[in-house]
Parts: sequence; C-alpha cells; structure tokens
Amino acid sequence: MGVKTFAAIDVGSYELSMKIFEVSQRKKIREIDHIRHRIELGTETYNTGKLSNEKVDELCRVLTEFQEIMKGYQVTACKAYGTSAIREMKNRMIILEQIKLRTGIHVDVISNSEQRFLDYKSIASKGAFFDEMIVRGTAIVDIGGGSIQVSLFDKGSLVTTQNLKLGILRLREKLVSLQLKPTHYDEILEELVAGQMEVLEKLYLKGKKIENIIVVDEYISNALGTGKGDAKESYIEAVDFEGFRKGIRSKSPSEMAREYHIAEESIFLLYISTMLVQHILKLTEAGHLWIPGVTLCDGIAYEYAEQNRLYSSDHDFEKDIIDCTQNISKRYMGSKKRGETLEKIATTIFDSMKKVHGLGKRERLLLRLAALLHDCGKYITLNGVGMASYEIVMATEIIGLSHTEREIVANVVKYNYLDFDYYQEMNKGAVIDRQTYLCIAKLTAILRVATGLDRSHKEKFKDIVAVHRGDELILTVNTPYDITLEKGLFTPRAAFFEEIFSITPVIKQKRIM
Amino acid sequence: MSESDKNKDYRNPRYYTNRELSWVLFNTRVLNEARDKNIPLFERLKFLSITASNLDEFFMVRVASLKDMVAVNYDKPDIAGLTPQEQLKELGRVTHELVSLQYSTYTRSLLPMLEKNGLHVIQAHEDLTEEESRYVDRFFMDNVYPVLTPMAVDSSRPFPLIRNKSLNIGALVKKKGEKKELEFATVQVPSVLPRIVEIPAEAGKTRKVILLEEVIEKNIEKLFLNYDIVCAHPFRIMRNADLSIEEDEAEDLLKEIERQLKKRQWGQAIRLEAEAGIDSRLLEIIEKELNIGEEDIYRIPGPLDLTFLMKMYGMEGFDHLKKKPFAPQPVPAMEGEGSIFDKIRKGDILLFHPYETFTPVVDFIRQAARDPQVLAIKQTLYRVSGNSPIIAALAQAAENGKQVSVLVELKARFDEENNIVWAKMLEKAGCHVIYGLVGLKTHSKITLVVRREEDGIARYVHLGTGNYNDATAKLYTDMGLLTCSEAIGEDATAVFNMLSGYSEPLSWNKLSIAPLWLKDKFLYLIGRETENAQNGKKARIIAKMNALCDQDIIAALYRASTAGVKIDLIVRGICCLRVGIPGVSENIRVRSIVGNFLEHSRIFYFENAGLPEIYMGSADWMPRNLERRVEILFPVEKEELKARIMHILNCQLKDNVKANILTKDNVYEKVDKRGKKAYDSQEAFCLEAIQTAKEKKDDYHKRVFIPETHIV
Repeated sequence: MGVKTFAAIDVGSYELSMKIFEVSQRKKIREIDHIRHRIELGTETYNTGKLSNEKVDELCRVLTEFQEIMKGYQVTACKAYGTSAIREMKNRMIILEQIKLRTGIHVDVISNSEQRFLDYKSIASKGAFFDEMIVRGTAIVDIGGGSIQVSLFDKGSLVTTQNLKLGILRLREKLVSLQLKPTHYDEILEELVAGQMEVLEKLYLKGKKIENIIVVDEYISNALGTGKGDAKESYIEAVDFEGFRKGIRSKSPSEMAREYHIAEESIFLLYISTMLVQHILKLTEAGHLWIPGVTLCDGIAYEYAEQNRLYSSDHDFEKDIIDCTQNISKRYMGSKKRGETLEKIATTIFDSMKKVHGLGKRERLLLRLAALLHDCGKYITLNGVGMASYEIVMATEIIGLSHTEREIVANVVKYNYLDFDYYQEMNKGAVIDRQTYLCIAKLTAILRVATGLDRSHKEKFKDIVAVHRGDELILTVNTPYDITLEKGLFTPRAAFFEEIFSITPVIKQKRIM
Repeated sequence: MSESDKNKDYRNPRYYTNRELSWVLFNTRVLNEARDKNIPLFERLKFLSITASNLDEFFMVRVASLKDMVAVNYDKPDIAGLTPQEQLKELGRVTHELVSLQYSTYTRSLLPMLEKNGLHVIQAHEDLTEEESRYVDRFFMDNVYPVLTPMAVDSSRPFPLIRNKSLNIGALVKKKGEKKELEFATVQVPSVLPRIVEIPAEAGKTRKVILLEEVIEKNIEKLFLNYDIVCAHPFRIMRNADLSIEEDEAEDLLKEIERQLKKRQWGQAIRLEAEAGIDSRLLEIIEKELNIGEEDIYRIPGPLDLTFLMKMYGMEGFDHLKKKPFAPQPVPAMEGEGSIFDKIRKGDILLFHPYETFTPVVDFIRQAARDPQVLAIKQTLYRVSGNSPIIAALAQAAENGKQVSVLVELKARFDEENNIVWAKMLEKAGCHVIYGLVGLKTHSKITLVVRREEDGIARYVHLGTGNYNDATAKLYTDMGLLTCSEAIGEDATAVFNMLSGYSEPLSWNKLSIAPLWLKDKFLYLIGRETENAQNGKKARIIAKMNALCDQDIIAALYRASTAGVKIDLIVRGICCLRVGIPGVSENIRVRSIVGNFLEHSRIFYFENAGLPEIYMGSADWMPRNLERRVEILFPVEKEELKARIMHILNCQLKDNVKANILTKDNVYEKVDKRGKKAYDSQEAFCLEAIQTAKEKKDDYHKRVFIPETHIV
C-alpha cells in the first residue's frame, strides 16, 4: 500500500505523549492520533536524580497501553525518545532496561541538541514556506520546560543556536517560589529573562536584522489554534501577537480557559510563553511570527520518514550543521580558508579509502566538522591548542549532533595535536565505547595527515588527488609551490596513519609549469 | 447592551417554574392523551400506564432527593424560589390531584369503554359469579398458591421487608377461637405471575378479566389457616432509590454499584399507596412500621399500580382498538450494493428514527465486526436493549481480533443491573471495557470505526441523539449522523482518548464536549443571536429538547428575547422557562409534543445572521447534562441535510394535534385548531418515510431495468 503507520513517543519532563502517523510518499506525513498523559517525571529527576517506583510503574502502565493502541493501528514501526528528565536520571540505564522488559518499548535518550534538531527538522518539514522565510533574518525560538533554544538564520543558513535556561516550567517554579502577587509577575519575569537575553543579544544579534520569529510552543499554538491547517495560516503579525498577549493579561484564568479552550492549569504556562516571545520580539524588532504548532513527535516522524526514504525536505540539514560550525570557528578567529582547505584534503583522503576505514556519511560529516574546528583552541592559548580546542567543542552546542558525536569531534581535534591515548586510557574519564573509540582513531589519523599536508598554511595542497593502491595511499598534489617542508615533516604525522590503517601515505608532486 | 437590559435581573425567581412542578405538568400532558377520545382505546390504556410508571420513577428519584434535602435541613431555594420543604408541600398537592385524575380516567372513561368494546374488568372478587369463582379458586390453587410466601407478624417474627414497588396484600388476622388482639399479616403479590387473569368466556361474548390481587384476596384464608381474616387490602410502597455511590472511595465501581443495588430494596419508604377503603387499624400498623407520614399516603380508588395496563394493551384480539403499528422504513441512502462504509463515503447520512429503521446503526457495527480492514471499534453505551444485537456484534468484533473499546455507563439510572451483566459479558469476549468516569455520567452517543484503507487510515463515526438501543429506537424519535469527515473523525478519536483517561486534545475541530465546553458553546451561540438582533441582523433560535431547566441558559434566552430574537422551543418534558413575561420572554414560544412516539431528539438551530447553523446532540439544557455528564454536540454541515432538519423542525412547529402550547399562565393548552387543517407531525413523518422509501425503490428499479434501445 505504500502507507506506513508509525508511532512516535516522547517521554517528556512533564508529559508522556504518543503520536500515530501515516507516512507515505503520496500523502507525506499525516497525524492520526495524539495521546497525552500528564506525568511529572522532571520534578523528581531534577531534584533527586532518580525516579520513584510509583512513577516507573505509572510510566510502564501507560507505555503498555500505548503498545495496545499501536497494535490497534497496526503500527509498523515505533520510536521512543526520552528527553531531559530521562537524561538527568542517574540510574537511567537500569530504568530504561526495566521499561524495555516490562513494556517492550525501547526508549532512546537524546541530547538537547538532537532534540532541538528534531524540532527544527519538523519545522523545516512544513515545506517551502520555511526556506523562503530563512532567506531573511529569522530566529527559531523553541520553548521547552527546562530551557529554550534560540537559533538564528541569515541568508538561508544557520548562524548559531543557543540554549538558555529559561524554560517555562523552570520560570514557573521560580515565580511560585518567590510568592509574588500576580501583578508583579510581569516585572519579575522581565528581569529573570532580560539577563540571559542580553548576552544573546550582545554576542549574536548585534547588527543582524531579524525579521521573523518561528515559535515552537504547544501552549501558544494551541491557544491561537495555529498549526492545524495550512502553514500560512499560522503566520501572524507581531502587532497582532501583542494584542493577543495584552488580552491574556486582562483576563482571568477561567475566562481564558473558556475563550481559548485550554485547560486552566495551562494558562500560567501560556502566559510565561507569550511573555518570552514578546521579549524576543522586542529585542529583535521582528515584524512577523510563525507558530507552526509542531512537537517533538513530529520531528521523530520526520526523521523516520527520511530514514525510510518516504519523504525528504528540500532543505539541506547537513549544510546547517556545517554553517553553524563555520560560525563557531569564526567566533574563535579560525581562518575560514584554512579550514576549508583542510576539510577538502581530509574528505579527499576519506573518500579514497572507504573500503579501508569502513566509515559512513555521518562520520564524514564529523570529519569535516573536526577539520573546521581543528584549531579553535588557539583563541585561548597557543600552547595546548589540543586541550583548549577539546574544551571549546565540548562546551559548544552544535545543533543536530548527539552527545557522542560531539565527543568524537572534540577528541579528533584534540588528538590532532596531542599524542593519541589508547582505549584503556581514553575510556577512563568519559564513557567512550569501542566503536566510538575506533571512529576517533580513524578520523584522527586522517585529520593528522591532512594537517600535515597543510603545514605552511598556504593552501599548497588545495588540489589534491588521493589514490589508494596496494598498501600505499598516493597523494598527488598539483601545485607550483615548493613542498619540501611538508614532505620533510610528513613522516611523523604519517606514522599514526600507518598504525591505524596499515597503509603508508606517499606524497607526489605534479608540477604545473 | 442597553442600560435597562443590564439592570434587568433575568434570574428573578418569579421568571422560573420549579422543575418538579413542571414535570408534573408534563405527566399531566401524557395523561391527557389517555383522556383523548380521538385516540384508540388501547392506546389510551398505554398512556395511562406510562403516567403511572413515570410517577413511580419520579417518586423514587426526585421526591426522594427532596426528602433527603429536608432531612439534612438543606433549605436553599431553587431557581423558582422554593425551598425543598415548600416544593414537597406543593408536590404533595399536585401529585394527589394527578393520581385522582388518573383513577377518574380509569374508572369513568376507560372501564366503561372497555366494557362497551367487549372486555369486562371484574373489579372486586365479590362480583364473581359462582362459576367464575370456581375457576378463579382453581387457578389460585394451581398457579398462585405455590409461589406465595405469607408472613405474619408477632413478637417472635419482626415486620418483614416490603420490597420497593411490589404489590402486597396486608391483612388483620386473629387466632382462631381466641379473643386475642389483632395481628398483622402480609403477602406479596408475586411479580412472576401475570397481573391480569382472564376468565374463560364463551366465544364471541364479552371477555372477562380479574386482577391477580383480587384472586389472592379472595383466597387469603387459605394462607393463614389457623387464623380468622378480619380484613385484607392491597398496599404498595415506594422507597428512596437514588443510589448514593461514594465513587472516590469505592475501590471497584462495579462492585460498589452491585452492593448499592441490593440496598435499594431497603431505602426509606416515601410513598404508601393503599386501597381507598382500607381498614384504618390496618393502615395504622403499616404507617407506623414504615414510618410514613399522612401526607405521603395515597388512598387509591381502584387497582394499585396501573402499569398492568401495559399488559392489557398487549392482550390479543383487540387490534382494532390499537393504532396500526408503524414499521420503520428503510433508509434510502442505505439501499444498493456495497458496504456501509462505501455508502458513508458517498456523503454524510442522516438517520431519523423511528420513521427510518435503526438497522443501519446495527449494521454499522456488525459490518465493522466482520470487515477485515477494520482495526478498531469504539463506542459509548448508556442504555441498551436486552439481548442487544449491538453487544453481540461488539463481542464478535473482539473475537475477530479487532480492538474494541466500550465505555459502559454503569450509572445509567435503573439500568445499572442490566449494564453490569453485559459489561461483564463484553469483557469476557475480549473487549476493553471502561466502567464510566469518576464523578461523571457518560451520556454521549458516539461510535468510531477505524479502518485501514488503500490510502491510509479512515475513520467512520456515528453520532446520535438517542441510545444505542434497538428496542427503544422503534419508539423514541431520535436523529443520527453517519459520517467519515476527517475533522469529526479526529475529534472522535480524541473523545475516546479522553474517556480512556488521557489528556484533553490540544484543540477540537467540530465537536463540543460537556462538561468541558458545551455550556459555553450554547451560551456563545445564544449570545451571538442576541448581538445580531441588537445590530438589526436576522436572529432566530429554534431548539428542540427533552427538558430545559438550566438557569444560565434560560437567562441567556430571556436576554435574547429582550433583544428581539425570535425563539421557538420544542420541549417535550420539564421546562422551567416561562413565556410571555412582559419585557423578559415575550418573544419566546414553548411547545411540547406528546405523541405516540416519545420525542427524544435534541436539535438546535441558530440563524447566525443568515448563515444558519444546526447542531444536534445528546444533551438537554439541564445542569446535569451540561455540568455532570459527558455529552457531545455535533454540527450538521451538509446543506441538504440541514434542509432536511429544517423541514423536520418546521413540521413540529406546524403540529396542531399533538402539540401543547405553554401559555403565560404557565399551563399547557392544545393548539386552537379552528379554521386550520389538523396536522400531526409524527403522522406526517411516518407518511413521508414510507413515501421516500417507495420512491427510492422505484427509482432504483427504474435505473436497473432501463435497457439500451438504440445505438447512436
């Protein structure tokens, strides 16, 4: 039939939800059912780091019911993701195993950046409208319970993405703990928000013209009724939003609940959400808002559709990751040209020996990122670039990368400078499994050769052809320059490469007269 | 809003009728049918029987709850300004009147008419001829005696439990040969035997019947052999039957209800009916033992418990004195080849019961149960018939591996027992059964069928105004809608998610759900008409329902009327709204249709400045429907269906035979027919249904049998 039924489960910090989708080439992604169960996992794990037995039981009970519902729809595939509440659980391995045994549902934990990337993908999946929009300055404001994610776009590419601890649940807790009069909420919220927003503004917004804000938030889209129909219908003017917000301020919760048909308990969160959006509107002076009403589940479905080649957007998400990384490099005064040369050499080598390293498309992307960020640590110190670069990469959120992937990039960058630590050593601090370790080793070997070839930073090796023949990797350079320096210093760099792949890289020059 | 309007107090108690008193008016309207000489005699028996069973239920529930209020000194006045105490007092007066009207109807009109038409009801066993006596005595010994349990009361035997609603014969007895004081004895008239005993008569001659209690009374000395019978009289009591279920504390709702049901037999006695000439000493004993006050005693000049008349209606041989039974007609849209799903896909289908058959609804579930493409069936059930084909189909579906979820409302009053039985049965068959929601009764009538089709999941929904009960669907007028609209399908899925305990959906497309939003929706719709009227736009409301007693809604209607909205209400039963109050309700007209079929559909029409909207649903405009029940209101959007519903409403507004108009003096009067042609809307609908079915059939045959005659 060509129609696949897919279930996406979001084990969130305050809600367990499942969406059932139909995915097909013809109808694309169609939501059939949305089941939500309120369960505050976040409050427990944030406070104690663990989940009580009652909560685990409840979680398992509802997930078992979800299984039944899936059976009812004859769901062919299911993907469950746990976000921050699960992430911050100390005993998550044990709990997740329990859940799997009791309910048959395997819950994967995703990092904040992966989660945001999925949200982002689900927005982009709304079609051409998104690509049109980001040509002009655009900010995506993804509002969550614990934090919000602000991503900036300019000229069609992703400039940066920042996580601010201004989630609506977090803000609510703060407001409640202060025991304020409701009339003071506005002021205090302003203050809570302004501090962090100021940094964002200074670092990233200076001189940028933001015209559109894309809001990812359940409460606002629900109250405004956006996200149901055509994408264009959920597009509103900033002025109208201001009107809507003022309306909220002047009404009692029960009036609001009646008018907007939302549960009374959600009203406060809606209020905080609108407040945040309003603040960003003011900061950016954006004129338009787009509230497509997507949730993590939509992102999961999109990912599934993409993986199964049932659907793909015209938007190039890999480019977003590269763009974003280039911007990070730029912030730390990395040379764009040098980065690009390294990237070119590294990928050339990578592509020429696919059979040898056995790595895939995703690892190739990681290699590119490592090449782009290879010397960002220089910004901090010239001695110990390796460690400094590692720290920078680990501390910087790169949208779309999982935690492990970020770890790979950071390590490759680190060992590009420092002596390689073997598994027993590397495995000491962080949790690096065998596969990750091998990937780090392979990518490091390639990057080392590439850096070796660009020793003089003069981009002599810009046009390079790599051919793998027998136990040699022949790197033919097409350059009029003298490459004695590179040739001379190449051997120690190549040694590691040999160790990893049992292949000797050899430089050959093809002089253009 | 004008200044004068703002200051007007639409909640003034003077503008409202007490709902219980309004109910008595309704039962009087039913009684009037029994008194109507234009109606076939046996139909009149039926109406009289209905007034009796209505009154029983009214006592068990409404009067009982007022008594409870008085018992705990609750004295908050109702919307009409009456305290429970005052209501009881007033009710005592009007129900006594009602009862005496019932019996004068029975003895003065119906009995003589029966006699004239060849059925003689022997009123007292003393009137039997010798030959008849012999037959009756034999009948007693053969059939009755073995099932009787006579009970005497003395110091060693306490006063027995007199069962709720049961008919009993009380007697004063005296030990033979002793001059001791009188003792009390009682025997229940067994409910397992038919109440009406026919005495054989010669063919072609007047038939004769006597009531069972007379037969027992005649032979009562055979029950108390060692005693002399001083006197014997039938009596009957009504007990407080409103279940008080502590849902929050009840571990298992199912068990709790079973437990409470047993307790219903023990509720406080709230009414005592006794034969008019009852011995005062006997009455005194019963009165004292049951702890019942003088005002709750009804001295009945005739047989107690007139519901036996329904059995009399069922007697064979009197068909010429009954209305010809109407056979529900086939639904045109259901004719032809293809599955019911194919037919629904062609367009929404409106069902109008009982004029049109209920079969499509049963078929909907039956076919879904067998259809290999169907994944799931979900349904809410409130009251179903015994031996319901719907239950059977659901069980079958579960056995066929479909996912079947059924919400069974255990709290459906007086059907609790019934519901428990088949809820258990469904569970056994593998259905997922939800036993109602804590604190709410699920009154909505919705069925969802999820089907996997060529291009993905499709949802088929049936929404109705009446219960999924194939038996009552032949007697109640109800509307239903079969649709596969995506928007309604999504909402239906959300409804069942909510009923399964999941969160409310982020938003609703088409349906309005009580107790969440329904009342607001109605207030909004009425308010919109008010505004339109104020702005000089077209404004009109037609609303048809079973009862109207929600104060917020009534106040909104008063405001609308004041603004100039023309309002027509077709309210079968209770109506707390008053018409013709100067400056308040002059633009409101209320009519009640009491006919052969029980008016049951709920239809709401709003003019909306020329873009009319029509809704139907399961809810009346009563606080209990809008606040304490799960109800669904759905729009009808297809133009041709809207036109059809408009036609139905217009016919009911035109009715001048079965319609009663509420006057400004707060009484109901039949329409003045002078100079007009009699128009009975229910009759008209019957004829229309027959006509349409016939046309469609002809049409179908015509289409099938046209051969091609020449080649172009």
